[in-house]
Amino acid sequence: MVIVTALIALVQLDAAKTGKPSVIAIGVTSVAVVAQSAASATLGALRSAGAAVADVPKLATENAALRARNRMLAAENARLNEAVASLPEARAIANESAREPAGIVASTIGFDPENVSRQITLDRGSSAGVRLDDGVVDEDGVVGRVVAVTPFESTVLLVTDGASKVPAVVQRGRWWGIATGTNARMRLQYVSQDAKLKPGDAVVTGEGRSFHAGLAIGTISRVDHPEGALYQTAVVEPAVAFGRLSRVVVLPHGERDRAEDP
Amino acid sequence: MRTDEDIARTRAFWMANKPGETAAPAYVPDPPVWWHVGIALAAALVVQSAIAPFAAFRGASVSFVTLLVAWYAVRTGSLPGLLFGLIAGSCEDALAGSTGAAWTFATGFAGLIAGRLARTWLADTKIVLVPGAAAVTLVRYGAFAVAMQAEGRPLALPLAHLHLALWQSALDAIVAFALLRLGPDLGGHVAHRR
Repeated sequence: MVIVTALIALVQLDAAKTGKPSVIAIGVTSVAVVAQSAASATLGALRSAGAAVADVPKLATENAALRARNRMLAAENARLNEAVASLPEARAIANESAREPAGIVASTIGFDPENVSRQITLDRGSSAGVRLDDGVVDEDGVVGRVVAVTPFESTVLLVTDGASKVPAVVQRGRWWGIATGTNARMRLQYVSQDAKLKPGDAVVTGEGRSFHAGLAIGTISRVDHPEGALYQTAVVEPAVAFGRLSRVVVLPHGERDRAEDP
Repeated sequence: MRTDEDIARTRAFWMANKPGETAAPAYVPDPPVWWHVGIALAAALVVQSAIAPFAAFRGASVSFVTLLVAWYAVRTGSLPGLLFGLIAGSCEDALAGSTGAAWTFATGFAGLIAGRLARTWLADTKIVLVPGAAAVTLVRYGAFAVAMQAEGRPLALPLAHLHLALWQSALDAIVAFALLRLGPDLGGHVAHRR
């Protein structure tokens, strides 16, 4: 028993030191992906069934159609706004996008078991091409970035987690800042005092390791402009509804890195 | 670990001296069957990872893994508690993804501490076990924070984490009370008190 105890401790310690998933982690996640997928599907079905019972079918259909149309128009509006606001960057972004291979579609199958971090587990791992630091988005905007990968699963740190930091730009005035998670929302930090931030301003990603520029992060809901401070901050409501995340797209930035490696 | 004969002899002794009478309660060394514990651990992990955000109260959710490790350790001792804690923690690290080995060592430490109650009168006392569940949860969370710091990944928003740890310990104590009061026969000291 002592030997087994020491062995487990050593394996985990070694994995933590090297930053790579341990044999235990690979084994557990390979088995857990099946159980988690089943649990997630069951939970999803139960929630859908509850919603279907609660709604009048016709009303629900019309509502879904209108929501989809509204989302499409909002996304198109955001795209057009971004295109106008960042015209000089457009060529570079287009070139970068052309070099980007297709995103990897993945489903959410789990969460942090202790709910300590705001993170989700996806049913795609390194065998599907997911790599560390890949950006993850859904139809509404930025979800987070990949922080752990095993062959059949990957873990995504949501942008609302306290440890998440994303380079961000306020779309209206091209003011830069860092969007840091505060668990439920985000805080836009290190924005220059001369920036004239207003509630309702759209915040998008700046060019970074995990994301290209121009992806929706959220909307400013409050501006803190302390006297005498070097920077101002703002509270940002996330664009993504994290409570109903189901399918996401992983942006494989790794392909670009591999192409650039000699 | 005692043999089956030891267990049978101790049980017979206990049956002869009815609870509440003059004889002191004898320790009944019947550790849980390993595969029962394995299934319970797998179920706890799947349930926690599937519903944690939906079942959260004030941002915290019940840690069935902590309760399971504490229960096993109280019934078996420090070394088995440590071993089971390491196994349970490594599974949590695998599912959490970005915690390195922090849950492994924190849960192992919690099992080690909870196991100190085994073979003592404290393990036979509900009024100790319920706040004990809360204390083990806090100790585990503290050990987790220390391990994360040691791994070079300090917890962001420490106040939020303290808030989370306090709520989780309260929830764990409530669930421990409910299980001890209303749950199935969990064996060990508590069951033989009935």
